[in-house]
Amino acid sequence: MPVFKTPFNGYSVKFSPFYENRIAVATAQNFGILGNGRLHVLELSSNPSLPITELIAYDTADGVYDVTWSESHDSVVVAAVADGSVKLYDLALPPTSNPIRSFHEHTREVHSADYNPVRRDSFLSASWDDTVKLWTVDRPTSVRTFKEHAYCVYSAVWNPRHADVFASASGDCTLRIWDVREPGSTMILPAHDHEILSCDWNKYDECIIATASVDKSIKVWDVRSFRVPISVLNGHSYAVRKVKFSPHVRNLMVSCSYDMSVCVWDFMVEDALVSRYDHHTEFAVGVDMSVLVEGLIASTGWDELAYVWQHGTDPRAS
Amino acid sequence: MDPNSQSSGSNPPPKPWERAGSSSGPGAPFKPPSGGSTSDVVEASGTAKPGEIVTSTDRNAAINRSTLARPVPARPWEQNYGNTSYGGGALGGYGSSMNYNSGYGSGGMYGSSYGGGLGGVGGMYGGGMYGNSMYRGGGGYGGGLYGSSGMYGGGGMYNSGLGGQMGGYGMGVGPYGGDQDPNNPFNEPPSPPGFWISMLRVMQGVVNFFGRISILIDQNTQAFHLFMTAMLQLFDRSGMLYGELARFVLRLLGVKTKPKKVNHPPGPNGHPFHGQPNSSGNVNYIEGAKTAPSGSWDNVWGNDTSE
Repeated sequence: MPVFKTPFNGYSVKFSPFYENRIAVATAQNFGILGNGRLHVLELSSNPSLPITELIAYDTADGVYDVTWSESHDSVVVAAVADGSVKLYDLALPPTSNPIRSFHEHTREVHSADYNPVRRDSFLSASWDDTVKLWTVDRPTSVRTFKEHAYCVYSAVWNPRHADVFASASGDCTLRIWDVREPGSTMILPAHDHEILSCDWNKYDECIIATASVDKSIKVWDVRSFRVPISVLNGHSYAVRKVKFSPHVRNLMVSCSYDMSVCVWDFMVEDALVSRYDHHTEFAVGVDMSVLVEGLIASTGWDELAYVWQHGTDPRAS
Repeated sequence: MDPNSQSSGSNPPPKPWERAGSSSGPGAPFKPPSGGSTSDVVEASGTAKPGEIVTSTDRNAAINRSTLARPVPARPWEQNYGNTSYGGGALGGYGSSMNYNSGYGSGGMYGSSYGGGLGGVGGMYGGGMYGNSMYRGGGGYGGGLYGSSGMYGGGGMYNSGLGGQMGGYGMGVGPYGGDQDPNNPFNEPPSPPGFWISMLRVMQGVVNFFGRISILIDQNTQAFHLFMTAMLQLFDRSGMLYGELARFVLRLLGVKTKPKKVNHPPGPNGHPFHGQPNSSGNVNYIEGAKTAPSGSWDNVWGNDTSE
């Protein structure tokens, strides 16, 4: 399956919800520590033996840490930039008119962005300034700011079955569940003993959520009884950077880690690790599963490569 | 943009899980979703606060119903950059806002995991460099906290940067102080303090830089631990790390140390000792120094004659 070489270190990859052959890759120069960033939009060929081509790329003055596709406009992407801004790009417009918006309210790096897949008119940004912000495309400022975390918020993700609910994962070792209509968080899960770097909701059960942590484990929780996790997935040998539930199979999830591997899990069986992919030669920090093509996985990492492959095949085989 | 794709327009294809219908069953602890747009829903709930900027002081004052598993470290960039004012007051601001030690010190997470093994190296980074920090009388940086973890020796570096900047500040007040009398018609309008502002920006960049590094290390504690362990093992394997280091320091101070004594003249045939004509000179020197007391070179010559 195809590979794409990015000039900078990969940070995040997302499949378009509109086009099965389109992905966006967020990258940052010098491992995201210092320098510029670039947002790539890539097109997969229908023939897997052909290389991935670049549709367009946008440069930014600081690293791009995350990207999310609009659920309402097929050509719009939202980038989370390390200078604290959230930028909107419209691929349909000429490069000179992009970005079409740049929201600058966060006072520190923005580490994640997530578009509401249910109501499709808003998105979240999570930042190292400890806050999560809610934005709509039609307003010049954020609609609301959620500030309760005591340390960097690494990820904020909408519940895919509930338009008003989202979760945030933070370095203060808690996962918080929020309802945008409530003034404070509705649930606090002290989920790990170390920082939580990522979280994601199960697509088939609105009460199930997974957290990935520096303690190398992934935990799966039921928010109805969150004292004890449903499942603890061990297998990564370093901090787990991202976790994502499959859009197609209820119990399947994928994760990537600082141990440079991408793992696929079935959290309901005892031997939870389904497969491990060791194709990255540096930290694997971005992973996604296609909503439109079952089993299609994309990953990116600090080895400046973006891979797209079918689950069960070798990502390096071309 | 791409007219030949399967769907364009305002809605993506239905998600696989939407086709599957609801499966979570009763008991979901969420209020039923509201209708309308997100901004309307939020405004109707009375929680909207458009465009709120959260500064670090705000954040500290915010209600925190947290159930934290461990004390949270202060962030490296919490240095009151935003609201620094010119003049003496700024220094007070710096001093009071830097509370690094609370988090890591009491948390003990790093300290315990790196403790013994890294003691020596930690001392190298920590103790010397930061012990005399003018801002931290207590020497919180030094041996105790960051010293033992080693990795925050690196973290500490940005503080030395800050120190420089604050020193710069003090000087900056001088030139501007006298000249800028707003009522003096002969003075040009006060020009922006270009150099110091740009200096500030540079320092902000430095703080950002180390802030990001420290976050990365935060996110990847074990990898760093492994790296440091490997480095130490490497040094340890040569077995000479600390001895050589001590000798190097002594040499810097002008103290001559003992290994000079093995500097012998070679024997008459280039073979200092009999019986081992083909072995390297080094080995012989060392063995000779051990067996023969100093000043006994006559014996060596004597040995040679007995050959």
